[in-house]
Amino acid sequence: MKRLIFLSGILIILLSLIKADNISTTGYVRSYMGLLLNDNNDYSIIQNTLNLNFEQIKDKVALKANPYIYQYPHNNLKLRLRELYMDLYFNSIDLRIGKQQIIWGKADGVFITDIVSPKDLTEFLLPDFEEIRMGITSVKADYYIGNNTLELVWIPAFQGTVMPDSNSIWFPKMDLAGNIIYDFSDMKVNESFKNSEFFTKFSALTSAIDFELMFAYAYDDDPTIHIHPILNSQTHKLSGVLLKPKYNRLHVYGGSFSTTLGPMVLRGEGALYTGKYFNLSELSPSTDNIIKKDYLHYLLGIDYTTFYNIKLSAQFIQQYILDYEDIIKNDEFENMGTFLATKDFLNETLFTELFIYYGFNNNDALIRPKVTYDFADGFEILIGANIFTGTKGRFGQFNNNDMVYSKIKYSF
Amino acid sequence: MKRTLNFLSVLFISIIISTTLFAQNKKLTGMEVMQKVYNRPTGKDMVSNLTMVLINSSGNERVREIKQYYKDFGKVEKKIMFFIKPADVRNTSFMNWSYDEPNKDDDQWIYLPALKKVKRISSDSKGDYFMGSDFTYDDLGDRKPEEDTHKILREEKFNGEDCYVIESIPKEEDYMYSKTITWVIKDKWIGLKKEFYDEDGELLKILNIKKYDKISGYWIILETQMHNVQTDHTTKMIMSNVVIDKGVKNNMFTERMMRRGIK
Repeated sequence: MKRLIFLSGILIILLSLIKADNISTTGYVRSYMGLLLNDNNDYSIIQNTLNLNFEQIKDKVALKANPYIYQYPHNNLKLRLRELYMDLYFNSIDLRIGKQQIIWGKADGVFITDIVSPKDLTEFLLPDFEEIRMGITSVKADYYIGNNTLELVWIPAFQGTVMPDSNSIWFPKMDLAGNIIYDFSDMKVNESFKNSEFFTKFSALTSAIDFELMFAYAYDDDPTIHIHPILNSQTHKLSGVLLKPKYNRLHVYGGSFSTTLGPMVLRGEGALYTGKYFNLSELSPSTDNIIKKDYLHYLLGIDYTTFYNIKLSAQFIQQYILDYEDIIKNDEFENMGTFLATKDFLNETLFTELFIYYGFNNNDALIRPKVTYDFADGFEILIGANIFTGTKGRFGQFNNNDMVYSKIKYSF
Repeated sequence: MKRTLNFLSVLFISIIISTTLFAQNKKLTGMEVMQKVYNRPTGKDMVSNLTMVLINSSGNERVREIKQYYKDFGKVEKKIMFFIKPADVRNTSFMNWSYDEPNKDDDQWIYLPALKKVKRISSDSKGDYFMGSDFTYDDLGDRKPEEDTHKILREEKFNGEDCYVIESIPKEEDYMYSKTITWVIKDKWIGLKKEFYDEDGELLKILNIKKYDKISGYWIILETQMHNVQTDHTTKMIMSNVVIDKGVKNNMFTERMMRRGIK
């Protein structure tokens, strides 16, 4: 009953915003259904979404509120705010205060310097990126000099990646033997100025090249898993593990660029992460089984439009652990590729797309074909599939989660 | 001294008059006509609303609305477009910098609000269709006269206007059109009608100018219609709220404005 009253109250506020003068109201309604291609044909998701954008922009100020509701079977409702911020515009400076999505870098579908907004991975990498990147309460200042921008971001309270529940089909497979026990007691980062995050970026947009240089004093959005082996008191053999996730500080120095080479767009992005903790391959009962190392993460990509107006895009991504030691569980080099091909038909009413993530180390992949048809202005019907190949690795671990899905969306 | 000055003045005026008369008598070439069309002054800056109505062979209509800003900076012309309708592309923006320098490609960026990213895109594919319409980027005025050879086929009256009829053949092999034929109004340098022929020489599209007007002293095309005769698809393009030479700010053509958008 309380929940119903709360939701009714929210609804009244939303309706009053719609009626408010000069506030533009846009959004969409979407029905999303995923069907696993396993023996039982379980549904991976049945979700209805109402996404609303309230915006007002004046000469010196602006505001935006982006509430959204996910509705699941049995009337299970989730009401969230993706963004809620105010803008202040000065001659050369813009200030944005509140919950906001902040997106950096030139990479597509890969997070290298794009580490300001935390990620929601409850459905792995399958949702639209607008839904994967969460808003974060922050103060952002942009100082403009022509087409150059100096950006400063202060995040007063850290928020990490949202992971799927342990009973979700998207929960990462733990390559550990025996009984696994979680202890989340060290996971909370206290909300204090000392624990806040700082990001800065200089970006330039020129005729020859666009580039960004960035630095972050942040937390690793993915917690380090401290692993404590549990030994059987009688046999003194390993009977399980106690996993204690904990967030740690990172320093990140990075940059990105994009430029045109005739018909091609060449993109690059890279960052040095210092202070990252990696797990060890052989568990020792006397340690946390972690080791601190710096690593490089970088990408090179090409976009090209070929015959019959087929748009192609390919990226090569490498993660390289510096001063590598053989006891580390991760490979010294982890190589990944992405490939995208798109083609539209019927005066841009029918869109076809194929996107592939490929992991070279484990020979695993996520293959994502989809077809979208614009039935009418703002009304689209999407049919797609997510096919996982391989047996281990980032994508191979989900090889039982092959699925087909549909998204029917009406934007207004 | 005064006599010398008078003599020089008379000589100077005589040169001007004779040059003008010579120019009037001189027959223009096809290239000169198309350069006059390309270089027809349209103001130092312009703000306008653009509505595109896409009509398929069944008569179903789709509507796109854009707010666009243009400014001539001398050696570079900059344009920025903000997409207003349909709802699923709202807040998308597109920026183009076009250079006088020969052989220098345009620079283009697109801002996609869902990705919250300004992406550089290649301007090489000018044969791409603009937003699902029947207009390619080249059709919208990006194609420079030097890229084709032009020939005056004849002079004739069309829709009550004295016109040059110009045949233009692309220099580039395998271009999407084998030729175009344009009816150019003689004193206004407006292409009143244009026929586009495909690679096999078959008629592909017909462009008709439905409305043009003098705004702030410049001839401005306000309504056009492109009909693809092979697919029976039509695009109407209507320009409204045209404001010229009112001083569009330089900082309108920046990443800052692409992200901020207009409401």
